[in-house]
Amino acid sequence: MAHRGSQATTLYLTALYMLVSCTAVPVNDLLDRASQRSDKLHSLSTSLTHELDSHFPPIGRMIMPRPSMCHTSSLQTPTDKEQALRVSESDLLSLARSLLQAWVDPLLLLSSSANSLPHPAHNSIYRKIQELQEYSKSLGDGLDILSGKMGPSSQYISLLPFRGSNDIGQDKTSRLVNFQFLLSCFRRDSHKIDSFLKVLRCRAAKMRPEMC
Amino acid sequence: LQNFWTFWVTSPPGKPKLTSCRSPEKETFTCWWEPGSDGGLPTTYALYYRKENSDAVYECPDYHTAGENSCFFNKNDTSIWVNYNITVVATNALGSNFSDPVDVDVVYIVQPHTPENVTVTVMEDKDGPFLRVSWEPPRKADTRSGWITLIYELRVKLEGEEEWEEHRAGQQKMFNIFSLRSGGMYLVQVRCKPDHGFWSEWSSTTYIKVPDYFPRETSVWILIAVFSAFIFFILTWILNLKSNSVKHCLLPPVPGPKIKGFDKQLLKNGRSEEVFSALVVPGFPPTTSSDCEDLLVEYLEVYTPEEQELILEEGKDLQEGCLKSKGSPSDSDSGRGSCDSHTLLMEKCGEGEGKEEKHQERAQKGKRQQKHQTGWEEGDVSHTREDVLSPDMSEGRVKTWPSVFSPLPQYSSRPLDHQGSLETARQLCLSDSLFPPPSTSSHLSYNAKEGLALGSGQQEFYLGKKQTHPSNPQSQPRWHLQAHSDFNISSMDRKQAASGLQLPGFRSTEYVEVQRVNQEDMVILQPLFSSSCQRDGHLQIGQGEDYSKVKGVDSGNMLLLQREVEVKREEEDGDRYSCDIQDRVTESCYTTSTAASSQVTGKPTSCAGTAMPVQEEMVLAANGYVDAATMLL
Repeated sequence: MAHRGSQATTLYLTALYMLVSCTAVPVNDLLDRASQRSDKLHSLSTSLTHELDSHFPPIGRMIMPRPSMCHTSSLQTPTDKEQALRVSESDLLSLARSLLQAWVDPLLLLSSSANSLPHPAHNSIYRKIQELQEYSKSLGDGLDILSGKMGPSSQYISLLPFRGSNDIGQDKTSRLVNFQFLLSCFRRDSHKIDSFLKVLRCRAAKMRPEMC
Repeated sequence: LQNFWTFWVTSPPGKPKLTSCRSPEKETFTCWWEPGSDGGLPTTYALYYRKENSDAVYECPDYHTAGENSCFFNKNDTSIWVNYNITVVATNALGSNFSDPVDVDVVYIVQPHTPENVTVTVMEDKDGPFLRVSWEPPRKADTRSGWITLIYELRVKLEGEEEWEEHRAGQQKMFNIFSLRSGGMYLVQVRCKPDHGFWSEWSSTTYIKVPDYFPRETSVWILIAVFSAFIFFILTWILNLKSNSVKHCLLPPVPGPKIKGFDKQLLKNGRSEEVFSALVVPGFPPTTSSDCEDLLVEYLEVYTPEEQELILEEGKDLQEGCLKSKGSPSDSDSGRGSCDSHTLLMEKCGEGEGKEEKHQERAQKGKRQQKHQTGWEEGDVSHTREDVLSPDMSEGRVKTWPSVFSPLPQYSSRPLDHQGSLETARQLCLSDSLFPPPSTSSHLSYNAKEGLALGSGQQEFYLGKKQTHPSNPQSQPRWHLQAHSDFNISSMDRKQAASGLQLPGFRSTEYVEVQRVNQEDMVILQPLFSSSCQRDGHLQIGQGEDYSKVKGVDSGNMLLLQREVEVKREEEDGDRYSCDIQDRVTESCYTTSTAASSQVTGKPTSCAGTAMPVQEEMVLAANGYVDAATMLL
């Protein structure tokens, strides 16, 4: 039975992969492109937080909200490797898409408040946030295509509404703190997305083991 | 070593400090701290951490695995995407001290171990050897599942060098290094980095020795160099062989002055006067008469028998005739002969085209001759000779031109000057003895039709001697007038008038008498009919009459020419001519040269032996032209 079950699973997976691979653009190639975009996304966010940290008031670190206060923290994501590797590709993709979707609005807020940010490098910050939006958008489109190839469960996207107000703060410190907090949340979530996609990439590249 | 005071002064421990926390594979992590002062008392350190979602404080589970002052978090204790708040507490007997808390998210502190199994091998391909470096990811890093994505970097350097040559290898685990130095020892190191993490340490150095090889590029260059050198040597050798022609081609010789007598040194010195004076060669332009005769085509040669100077001219058909003097210049026949000779001439010349003209001319000539004769007698032609003679010419030549052929009309047109023709021909005998020069002779052929005309031959009057004293007829013979002419007297048979019959045999001497000298200084010669009786020579009649026998020069500087009619055969009818006629038309012929004319004679004096207009039919025997231009008296 188990033998047959494993056989069925193998058959199913093979059929799935063949289906996936029969597309015009192979999935692994799509995943590769997605991974590259997510990688870039995360790099940008990391540089933004570092740039903001250069002129961050020390007291701001004290009053920084905890990362659990991020609006996406309600989304259950694997916390270690074993957990992560146990997640299915669809789920992984779903998670990635959910997270990405959750940040469309906050990025708008960040973009709108970047120019008035009381920070010497607010121009650079503003440009980077613009890039973030672009990459996020294109990644979202690619993931939508991927989800169409990877099965119905990948289509499910968890809603993670952003409950933050349209204003990041009144005073300079609170604005900076809020800005920094949002950026930190985004940094983590972009890392998650990137990790999930790279796991998916290696999983889909069974024909090319040298990649992983 | 604790001193006395340290024993007594103790304090709580200093504040420890967390230096770093690292996770090699994103599964575990380790934190290290730095202890502060211990305050003189044994101090213990403890690490406490708190995860972000809970407030529970946990202590480090493992203080030893990672070494001193470290805390190792194993997989069970490690959560990713979770902030750890870690604090280290130093505690001694007097107190404890907390370090500053540090927030750590494991995914951000990933630093893998160094790549493992770094192998470098020398591979060969067509371009030469190269290094192939291969490695493996660190053991604990799970790249297979994609949990960790590593990118690699390697560096290479030659042994002994300072700078490393770094190469990014991406995610591949193999790399090729080209352009190696033959026989060099290379050092290779590899390291890796996660996609969002820290670089690992460099792997341990791998040494590799590149074997000696001969680079193909060098061999090609050596071949090219050898070939080029070969070509170069060949070209040099050829150039050396043909250096002259090449020099000629590239640097054509500059023509230098090739003037005889030109001294380049003088030119370089810059003094033009000396240079040009050196060019003056004595003897140029030639002033001697050595080539003078060559300038003239024809000439009339007359020489005196006394001097026995034979002037030979090379005319074309010059026949030198030796004019024999009849004897003493003074001849009784001198005056008389003109009229008779006229008659004779007219008989002999026969018809001519210019008959009518001849008549007139003869009539005129007769008059003029008479006048001239008187003039001669009077000796008012004193100025003739001397002026004619050029001082620097010892011998003068009188040359006649073939164009003299048409003197006849000219005669009529020109009025004779007083020094001109004589009415009575005189016999001019310049020399008593005339030697027939072996030179050529001139032809004086008269055409019956044309009347008196000169033959194609040339008559050359060769005047010898400068000194001509008109008053001294005896001295006159000094200069020679040798007139050679072939007279073709075809009066007998006019058919042959056109052709100038040569006088057979006796061509050497011809006799011509100067009838007159026309206005243009033309000596008009007449065939001289000398009394054959006086002569021993042959007298030829019919075939031409020989005249131009210069009898002499009389006092009036008159060239006395004598014409002799030679008789071939005594039995001929010509005998009667010979003896009877005795036409001697002596005419003084001299070249008149006015004082104005510097030349000897401005024009050739043509002495044409005009037929005596005795009879119409007479043909002038000969027209001799004396080129007075060259006749130097």
